[in-house]
Amino acid sequence: MQVAIATLASDRALMLAGEPGTAKSWLSEHLSAAISGTSTLIVQGTAGTSEEHLKYGWNYALLLAEGPTPKALVPSPILRGMREGRCVRFEEVTRTSSEIQDSLISILSEKQVSIPELNEVVSAERGFNIIATANTRDRGVNEMSSALKRRFNFVTVPVVDDLEQEIRIVTRREAELRGDYQVGVEPPAELSRVLVTLFQELRAGVTKDGKTKVKAPGSVLSTAEAISVLFNSGILAQSFGTGAVTAEELSRSLMGAVAKESGDDLKALREYCETVAKSRSGAWKDFYAASKKHLKG
Amino acid sequence: MAALSEATRRALTGVHLFPVRHHSPRTSAVLRSFLDATKPKVVLVEGPQDAEVCLDVLLDAETVPPVAILGYRTDGQSGSSLYPFASYSPEYVALKWARQHHARAHFIDLTLGQSLGYQRPEHAAGDDAADGDADDEPDEAPLPPSMDERIVAATGFRSFEEFWEASFEAPAHEPEGFRRALLAWADLIRHEGTRVTYHRARDALMARLVTEVVERGVDPSHVVVVVGAAHAAAFAQLDVDPALEAHLERTVPTAVTMIPYSFTRLAEQTGYGAGNRAPRYYQRAHDANVDFRRATLEVLCEFTDHLRLRGFTVSLADTIEAYRLATMLSDLRGKSGPGLDEVRDASIATLCRGEAQHVDGFLWSTVIGHAIGKVASRIGRNSLQQEFWREVDHRRLPKTDEAAQFTLKLNDPVQVDTSVFLHRLRVADVPYAAFVGSSAGRGAKKGDVEDAGGHAALSRVREVWEGQWTPSTDVALVERIVDGDSLQQVCERRLSRALDAATSTGATAHVLMEAVVTLAPEVMARALAATDRLASTDDDLPSLASACRALSGLASYGSSRKATALGDEVLASLCAKTFERAVLRLRSACTGTDEAVGPAREALKTLHDLALSQRLVDGESWFTEAHALVGSYVVHPTCAGLACGLLYLAQRLSEADVAQVVQQRLSALSDPEAAAGFLAGFFEVNALVLVKSRPVVQALDAFLLSIEPERFKDTLPTLRRAFSPLGPTERRYLLENLLGLRKLQEHAREAQAVIAEKDKDTLKALGTDMAKVMDDLDDLL
Repeated sequence: MQVAIATLASDRALMLAGEPGTAKSWLSEHLSAAISGTSTLIVQGTAGTSEEHLKYGWNYALLLAEGPTPKALVPSPILRGMREGRCVRFEEVTRTSSEIQDSLISILSEKQVSIPELNEVVSAERGFNIIATANTRDRGVNEMSSALKRRFNFVTVPVVDDLEQEIRIVTRREAELRGDYQVGVEPPAELSRVLVTLFQELRAGVTKDGKTKVKAPGSVLSTAEAISVLFNSGILAQSFGTGAVTAEELSRSLMGAVAKESGDDLKALREYCETVAKSRSGAWKDFYAASKKHLKG
Repeated sequence: MAALSEATRRALTGVHLFPVRHHSPRTSAVLRSFLDATKPKVVLVEGPQDAEVCLDVLLDAETVPPVAILGYRTDGQSGSSLYPFASYSPEYVALKWARQHHARAHFIDLTLGQSLGYQRPEHAAGDDAADGDADDEPDEAPLPPSMDERIVAATGFRSFEEFWEASFEAPAHEPEGFRRALLAWADLIRHEGTRVTYHRARDALMARLVTEVVERGVDPSHVVVVVGAAHAAAFAQLDVDPALEAHLERTVPTAVTMIPYSFTRLAEQTGYGAGNRAPRYYQRAHDANVDFRRATLEVLCEFTDHLRLRGFTVSLADTIEAYRLATMLSDLRGKSGPGLDEVRDASIATLCRGEAQHVDGFLWSTVIGHAIGKVASRIGRNSLQQEFWREVDHRRLPKTDEAAQFTLKLNDPVQVDTSVFLHRLRVADVPYAAFVGSSAGRGAKKGDVEDAGGHAALSRVREVWEGQWTPSTDVALVERIVDGDSLQQVCERRLSRALDAATSTGATAHVLMEAVVTLAPEVMARALAATDRLASTDDDLPSLASACRALSGLASYGSSRKATALGDEVLASLCAKTFERAVLRLRSACTGTDEAVGPAREALKTLHDLALSQRLVDGESWFTEAHALVGSYVVHPTCAGLACGLLYLAQRLSEADVAQVVQQRLSALSDPEAAAGFLAGFFEVNALVLVKSRPVVQALDAFLLSIEPERFKDTLPTLRRAFSPLGPTERRYLLENLLGLRKLQEHAREAQAVIAEKDKDTLKALGTDMAKVMDDLDDLL
């Protein structure tokens, strides 16, 4: 965190890297809001991101009517950030094509955008900087060039591995979501504990006491994922269940979250239930019974 | 608690107390200016009183820290104690200042004998060997949370080391303020738990010595006492109990010397009193007049170089950014300058592009450093150390505290001498070089560890070693001096002792081989004589066999060592004699339970090899005896099977004979377990040849089919064990033969499927006739 702030105070851009669902975007949003009062200057990196999103585009009707005038220019978030001296967020840099990444290099080193049509060069005001995010799982998609890497300071956002802390995050965020959407019911605390423990153990591939090895599924089991499973089971309980969240709802929403990528992941979950969940007591018993029923089908 | 005498009170309140943390550059810098200001005539330093003889060497211009004072017991017991000094250790600085300003300097802590003789009830045995310096801090108290942890939690730092660095190390303190802050801090931790009696007793002793100095007429204001912070705090509070000195009465005879020390070891010892986490970094800070910014910059530059060497793209801009980031981080964290934690965070974010593993993997070792110190040559080294360092220099062997591998080619006489030197160190139990194997690649494989000495050494043409100097190398060299003045003498003495303790030919032969690799002719002769003597009374077959192998090896290969003084005829006759003796013992050694005959199996193979390869021995006697083993139903069936397999391989038994023997052994009349044991021994030799033989397989098949279903279950475990050494190739041959035998070739494809995946469904699909065979097989395989 301190590294992130210390970076933004300099002319280096900040790169937040990490597993999916580790609140990188959330962090970048809060950082930019805290530093420049707005978090709306944002470029979403996709395979279709073009140079217009990075620099500027034109309002073609005006362009045809009046020729290239400042009025006809449609500035990109980056151009606006430069003019106003604010932080700009660039989400998912690794998903953009290498041409776009290349033009980002010159923007980052020159800190200016030239508009030859207007015979004008926009230089960045003080306060302009870029907060980029990248998925470590996407490394292979569009690996950043070392020239681009060189212009960033890297901060790796860690996966939460403290059980209590993650339970706190999950229950709090779930309650917020419930408030925002006005749906769902509050899940009992011990089920949240079961869920987060399960996530952490599957993620680590070993149980908390370090005694049992479990097979880790291929899909991403992030904190965000745990929040959505919990939220989802609340909605399930309200709409189709008894109105109270039970192990039944939890295990049903869990299936959907874990088995995203392949059937093997369900196998891993089944293995986990048989080797770990079965022998535990309390809420685990109900959870095991419910999961067993669903996993059969 | 006994009352303090008036004299002690006056002395303790009158002298200048300077509390220190060992190996702290800031403390040293502040201490230096404190000494400059107070200009004492006497400097009293925490250190063993009887080690003052080392002062001249310690302060010699030739000596380069890190070095350590080594105290060791001379009463034959093991036990030693190290007092390491870095050039930024406050004690070293104080002593050096005293030397430069013609002030008197004295050590005032326990004598080495007292500290080695003290029996600490709270400590686990062996603790005293590691470190005589762990004091002041109740770091052995695992009571959670300790004062350290509470301080860390209260101040928001991540570790005690970081807290220390940020509060005491990095800021440019004034001497008086620093002294007071450190005293106050020490007073805080001093009340943590109960300080062990040992440290309180040391307080009492040191207080008495300080008083004595003052009583001898030195004005207390001309005395500076440099001691660990907790001791100083105790003195400042006059919290000293003279009666406790009685605990220190026990003392042991010791001697003292100085040895080089290394940064790596300094970093290994953690805790307040013992070391610090990055000695090289602190050395840099010390060299730059305790400028941590400068040290940080130097380290970051070094990281950059290091990364570039490893092929990473790191530019000067990155280094600049890393430095800027480190400085900014320290500002954000409210520190006065960047420290180790900032170095780490900044280099991960910039130089390593977010990859923490680069820093942890290879960069971090550069802040720890692996340089070793140097002790002035005029004193301190005993003859063994001299020999060691002379040889290491001369032979260009590794001499840093970092493991390095090298290969010796034993056809080069110079390298043979090096090998002798290293084997001598090994036999003398001096930790320096470890034998890796006869080739670099093979040594890396686990579970394939070659014996460094032994008969394998004779036929070796190459040796790979891994050398690393550690302070314990010198410690061992100092301690070994009781066994002799040169490495050869030490080896001879140790081997002779082993020889005297040996009761079997195997043990004496082992000594003999060690004597050969370490070139100890006297021991060689004695070991030969001892082997000769024991051979006539030794009844242990494995021991006789290994002796025989050693002798045979010596007789036929000689060794890569220079000609030994052994007469060939002595060896030859001894070898033949041992062999005969071993063959005579065969029958009895092969009779008994599974455990009892276990070692004999190895011996059988050894004897067989010798009978085939060594002309000096009477091979025929072995073959006769082996035939007898095969025919005997008294000996353990595994041994009989083994002998049978060996004879078959040596073409001493024809295929038909083997088939007959196997049939006999496996006939349903005899006990199936014995039969399975026979099979196990039989397959141990060379399963491939055996399963290729049609008659043998036929006998096997008949045997398996003849076992009654009830018995089959009981025999299954033994059978499984018997068949387990078979690899895929052998299994294939076995199956092919079986199929041929039963005229089931057309089912070969299905059979392959069975072998490939033991799928029950496929099995069901097969004909009933086939299924029966397959079931049998599947159970086995």
